[in-house]
Amino acid sequence: MATPLTVPLPQLQRETRGRERRARLVPLALLGPAIAVTLLFLYYPLVFIVRMSFTLADTFLRPTGAVTTISNYVAMVDRYLPNLLVTLQLASLATLVDLVFGVPFAYVLVRKVRYRNLVRAFMVFPMFGALYIAFGMRFILLPGGPATPLFEALGIPNTSVLYSLPSVVFAMSIFTFPFMVMNVGTALSNVDPTLEEAAACLGARPMQTFRRVLLPLTRAGIVAGALMVFGWSLGTFAEPLLLGSVNEQKTLAWTLYLKGVIQLDYGLSTAMGVVLLILAFAVTYFSLRYSRGALVE
Amino acid sequence: MTASTASSGPSAVRAPAPRSMVGRRRLTSRRMVDIVSHGYIWLCLFVFVTPFLALLVYSFTGPGGTYAIENFQYVLGSFGENLWWSLRISGLSIAIDLAIALPAAYAIVRYPVPGKRLIFSVLSLPLYVPGAVIGLSLVITYNFTYHLTTSMWGLVFAMVVGTFPLMLTPIIVALKDLPIAFEEAAECLGAGRWTTFWRIVFPLIGPGVSAGLMLAFIIVFNEYLVTLFVHPSEITTAPLRIFNLVRTAGLLPTTAALAVTMQLISLASVLLFFRVFGTRYFKGTYLI
Amino acid sequence: MSTVRLESITKHYGQTVAVDELSLDVADGEFVTLLGPSGCGKTTTLRMVAGLVEPTDGRIFFDDQDVTDIPPRKRNIGFVFQTPALFPHLSVADNIGFGLSVKGSSKSAIAERVEVMLAMVGMPGYGRRLPAQLSGGQQQRVALARVLATDPRVLLFDEPLSALDKNLRDTLKYSILELQRRTGKTAIYVTHDQSEAFAISDRIVVMNAGRIEQIGTQTDIYLHPRTPYVAEFIGANNGLPGTVSGHVGEGDDARVLVEAGGHALRARGRDGFAAGDAVVAYIRPEDIQILDGEGGAHFENVLEGTIDRVIFEGPTAQLRVHVGGRELRVDVSGNQRLTLMQRDGRIRLGFDDITLIAAPG
Repeated sequence: MATPLTVPLPQLQRETRGRERRARLVPLALLGPAIAVTLLFLYYPLVFIVRMSFTLADTFLRPTGAVTTISNYVAMVDRYLPNLLVTLQLASLATLVDLVFGVPFAYVLVRKVRYRNLVRAFMVFPMFGALYIAFGMRFILLPGGPATPLFEALGIPNTSVLYSLPSVVFAMSIFTFPFMVMNVGTALSNVDPTLEEAAACLGARPMQTFRRVLLPLTRAGIVAGALMVFGWSLGTFAEPLLLGSVNEQKTLAWTLYLKGVIQLDYGLSTAMGVVLLILAFAVTYFSLRYSRGALVE
Repeated sequence: MTASTASSGPSAVRAPAPRSMVGRRRLTSRRMVDIVSHGYIWLCLFVFVTPFLALLVYSFTGPGGTYAIENFQYVLGSFGENLWWSLRISGLSIAIDLAIALPAAYAIVRYPVPGKRLIFSVLSLPLYVPGAVIGLSLVITYNFTYHLTTSMWGLVFAMVVGTFPLMLTPIIVALKDLPIAFEEAAECLGAGRWTTFWRIVFPLIGPGVSAGLMLAFIIVFNEYLVTLFVHPSEITTAPLRIFNLVRTAGLLPTTAALAVTMQLISLASVLLFFRVFGTRYFKGTYLI
Repeated sequence: MSTVRLESITKHYGQTVAVDELSLDVADGEFVTLLGPSGCGKTTTLRMVAGLVEPTDGRIFFDDQDVTDIPPRKRNIGFVFQTPALFPHLSVADNIGFGLSVKGSSKSAIAERVEVMLAMVGMPGYGRRLPAQLSGGQQQRVALARVLATDPRVLLFDEPLSALDKNLRDTLKYSILELQRRTGKTAIYVTHDQSEAFAISDRIVVMNAGRIEQIGTQTDIYLHPRTPYVAEFIGANNGLPGTVSGHVGEGDDARVLVEAGGHALRARGRDGFAAGDAVVAYIRPEDIQILDGEGGAHFENVLEGTIDRVIFEGPTAQLRVHVGGRELRVDVSGNQRLTLMQRDGRIRLGFDDITLIAAPG
């Protein structure tokens, strides 16, 4: 004989459901502040500027209602396409430099180096910000600065190196180098070193081992690194300004600042912002697809 | 490669290798490859550090070409206010970061939340939005909707939204590594969830939390880009000051001194962290 | 198909000596096993033969060709690792054909060879599969096919079976032996498992602390160990330290008299031992007989002791007997092991075969 319930069954069921419902609310409450902050300070502003980019510049505050238009984007394509192209060019070159120099670096770091913590300590320097890198490089490259004797010996005038594409790209690639190394390094450390030994014993030259064994197995990490570098480089600021000629200073991010904050041309600047955003998202989307980093099960 | 010369058959007796050869390094191609590999690493590391070193050297020069520590005194004096703002903004930002990241991380790891991956992606999105876009969108929104343009909190929350995902990851890693048995044991012993969290979980994920704090601190402390867009006119953080000075006044030793100070403070906190906690909690973040 | 000769091979890691002036001659087509505990230098030696590790000193010869400075890919060897190390992104067929394709062989030649190899390891038709779809044993067999495909002159095995479970190990080790016999290739095999070494080797090299203790066939090593280490490492053994007290007899009746553990023992010593030499007298547990009553007069040596413990192991029973301050182990099989379970107290032991080895130090 089952013992009779002290509380009638329907009430018990109600209480349990209520408890369960409250239990389900707890995680939402915990996530609440984070979601709220992100919504308020990221998503809403982004939506705002998307809306604004489709508005005629001065009509936003008009009580009679804003005028929807794509004229901002038209103006962008008309007059500011070179800016976009410069941005893409700089980002692509920086990515290329990071690929060429970062992949071997990652390989040596993961496979051969014992003093990894020391290397990590050095690698934090770029992380402090592109600003210091650009600043430091500018100092080095200035006429009368430390590199001047070298340039004189090579017969190159300082200014052609200082305010030029190569120095901007160089500074950019220093800043994003650790990103590349991190992605490639993680992918490499997931590859069993025995595979390389096996390939060597089977007669493969180092280049063959790299092409046929390492590359296919680390491709995802390399692509993820490249995309991450590219994405970060799209929004770059300090390097083109401090190290670049007038041409490099046309990057979209800086133009966006000039138009938006200085000239208060909100329509145009938000249009640029949206373009930049779409570019970054596209890059990120593909980078996440390639990257293996399932942190959340 | 090398083939042995002259052998008169398997019965030939060979003198054993002289003892003096033991331990002496022969320059084989394998050794050369090793040297080049390590050399390459050091070359790259040198390149990383060179801008900092250059500024360091420069910051010690004074007018007339003499070495002067006056520049650093200047830092504390004229730039003192900027440094103070930087520290203040950083401190507030990482505190708020922690306040929102900690519960969020706990919810993600310990609760069966539907759409967890989506939520994590949604929360991590700020990492993938270019700084200029964040800056622009916030300055416009502050202007028109929130009216936060003259308050320090506008700047703080701009920093928070960009760095809190970076804090999320190390805490999640730390929580995942913490066996749930600890919390279950505490609950069996009668502790409520709140008590369990503060007395058991939080101390044990200390390293992960500190990693997040440190990462966020470094980034906010050195941030100039979003700050440029969003800062109220009375507030100029140190990196922003540097940026403005370099663009307008060109290169001055005093500016270099400030840059060096900023980097030294950042380096010190990173090294301190590595010393105390090791490098485990940086998996999946910027540093390997 | 090559001979392999190691001449005073040495490997230092900083202050540690991993391999100490090791010399070895392996005949063409011979199956030699390096046997020893972890850290004895056997794997390091094998990897130096392969070229994966550079010797600090010494030379290595394949058929009188000095290969010491030649990188692994040019030595034409086959190396089977502890893990199968199959390339996860390549199919079984592509894995097996890898060595040929890096040399630039034609696709058809490779495909043909792959088929032959798959048949040889008993896995025909598995070409299209991926390594992840195979079991551990199957993977290791594909690894075997992969190294054989390139027709190497030397086969090197680095504990290839240690990651597999027992039953698989037993079947696979005979497959390895059979393949080696069939192809006639010189093989050097590394293991810490004695039964494995005994099952498949032509000769065994017992190693300890970077040095060779003894080289010989299974019977050599087991019945005639030359050093205390070999006597104790191979199989179980009872070692009684003592001193030579004299010689008696001549020819077949020659005996060495030893005072060991408080007893006077008679050993058939073949090597010269002078009176006063410090020796260790080794007696295998299975060579000791339990004596009933007063019998056993035909044994050279009879000792009396107390039973400490009887352990029933299944096929054998192990007896621990206290004799004069030391504990002897006696292994008994057959019916005797059942009757022994009841015994207790005093017991008499008889044995003939003693191996005398000079005491170390």
